[in-house]
Amino acid sequence: MSYVAIKGGAEAIRYSKDFFHSELDDAKSISDQSLVKGLRYACDRVMSEGALYTETLAAEAIRKTGGDLLEAAFYVRAHRSTCQRIGSAEPIDTNQLRIKRRISSAFKDIKGGQILGPSCDYVIRLFSSLKSSDNTEAPLFEETDIPNIRVESALTPLRRDDRVAMLENEEQSPFDVTRSFPLPPYPRSAVMQIMARGETGSLLAFGYTSMRGYGDVHPTIGDLRLGEADILFTHPFTGNRVKIGSIRVTACETVGSFNPDPKDGKLRLAVGYGFCFGFNETKAISMSVLDLAMSHKGYSVGGQAIAANPEIVVHHVDAIESMGFTNHFKLPHYVTFQADLQVLNNARKNNDDR
Amino acid sequence: MTTDNITFGFFDEDAKKEIRRAMLKAVALPGYIVPFASREMPIARGWGTGGLQVTLSLITDKDQLKIIDQGCDGSVNAVNIRDFIVSVTGVEETTATPDATIIQTRHRVPEYPLSENQTLVYQVPYPEVLTTVEPDTARQKEMHANVDYAKLWVLLYEDTAQFGDSRISSRYPVVVNNHYVMDPSPIPKFDIPKLSDNPALQIFGAGREKRIYAIPPYTDVKPLKFSDREFAIEDFSGKACERCGSEDVFLDEVHLDDGVHFFCSDTYHCDTHLKEDRGAA
Repeated sequence: MSYVAIKGGAEAIRYSKDFFHSELDDAKSISDQSLVKGLRYACDRVMSEGALYTETLAAEAIRKTGGDLLEAAFYVRAHRSTCQRIGSAEPIDTNQLRIKRRISSAFKDIKGGQILGPSCDYVIRLFSSLKSSDNTEAPLFEETDIPNIRVESALTPLRRDDRVAMLENEEQSPFDVTRSFPLPPYPRSAVMQIMARGETGSLLAFGYTSMRGYGDVHPTIGDLRLGEADILFTHPFTGNRVKIGSIRVTACETVGSFNPDPKDGKLRLAVGYGFCFGFNETKAISMSVLDLAMSHKGYSVGGQAIAANPEIVVHHVDAIESMGFTNHFKLPHYVTFQADLQVLNNARKNNDDR
Repeated sequence: MTTDNITFGFFDEDAKKEIRRAMLKAVALPGYIVPFASREMPIARGWGTGGLQVTLSLITDKDQLKIIDQGCDGSVNAVNIRDFIVSVTGVEETTATPDATIIQTRHRVPEYPLSENQTLVYQVPYPEVLTTVEPDTARQKEMHANVDYAKLWVLLYEDTAQFGDSRISSRYPVVVNNHYVMDPSPIPKFDIPKLSDNPALQIFGAGREKRIYAIPPYTDVKPLKFSDREFAIEDFSGKACERCGSEDVFLDEVHLDDGVHFFCSDTYHCDTHLKEDRGAA
């Protein structure tokens, strides 16, 4: 019988941490460059879900966590809490992106063209190479090929024709979920921020419910774009407008069904919007589907479905929260569990006495 | 990154200000749940980030800090949180309940009676008492505004009719200041009577759910109960701590090869009681 055994023991924790670090010792030799360039989609997820655009810290986080991307995003978020805010940059107009890839599945051809860019969409996912001529030829693409392309959204002509429903902007300035948390009814800007910081898999799962049958029938990707956005900032001392850098982003506009517009009864298409740091098409598309379902209830089948319910989306897509809470069940719960057992015993006794 | 370049209390001053404002509102409206931004912490959500944010916004270099989990200073999570707070504040840590000015706790209220110069900070997983009967936050807000707790009463009635008593073991709903019904965090029913008329300030922080609420000192707190039913706490009659001999405290039930044993859940209480006994002998 030992009393000490039921305590956690600071010593044991220290060993456990050391053990964990020593298991990941090999990660130390992976360079920032290898991670930022070679595992760029991993870094992009960490920046996006960590809600801070920082390639080097994303790389550092991936090394520290042995490639556990949820944990890595968690490191970035925690770091974010220590950063003093200097001010707000100008809003990014994704029509102005320097395009690396832009496609529209709504139209065969579009102004500016279908720009496939780098994509794994058409890659045959086999570990061994196919015996085709593809592999023997020199690569078709060279980095120097990238021209400086800016194209407007493929949905612009439809907007000009008044065939796209425009949401009323009911907000003076965007909500900031990092400075206060919204109460229902949730401002759209707050919901969009929460989704932009959300976990790819969670957004995908909720978005997928809508695509499969618990919501909007069939979304069409109006404009999906990946590219670089310049960040413009008003210099705090000189007051001049300056470019402070550029970030790689993904943006997506998804077209849903049409309905009489509550504004004037005219038939218009509903469009949802998705946006995230880095290149992550799955996340941007999923987010746009969720925005579509939530912002245009009248346009989607099953307005009460999961994807159309901000209560579900707002509280369940953030992985820092869901992962943390899920793992907290590993903490000791013996006081509450013992209280549970007493209640069970009392209820059983009550049951037996009848 | 080392902790050397982090400001006192981890947060930037704007974050602390926001949390302090939420706490002031919470104290002014006993039992009312106040939303706050809830920054991400280097400790995971669900592991005490709400309590941690409250503590870090309250703490000064003159404070003495005690952290417990399940009543135990040495519990894994308590050790981890204490190490973190000490590393970003340099404050003095203590396990002695009466010496501590801030006590952060998970799942217990200390056995030693608290005093006016103390703040008890609770880590809270589910701040909204109505969640079990109404998951929609908009509806919950409306129900609180209307003091409409009918669904909780119905739940209590159904349990009493079927099982002879409420099936709620921990997180027993309480009425604060005869107004809001509040979730007291997952403390056992044993600790519920200690919430009422307590000289210490009690603040509840829910990091993941982004809510703060409070019981100001000397506030009336009652368990939600039908007037003809007695509120029964966990029963340890006839049992005593096998280490220090204490009775009338919350006992941990420990199952070992040689049978069931009981020990104090509050380790400070156990240690001091043991010392007193030895001193007397």
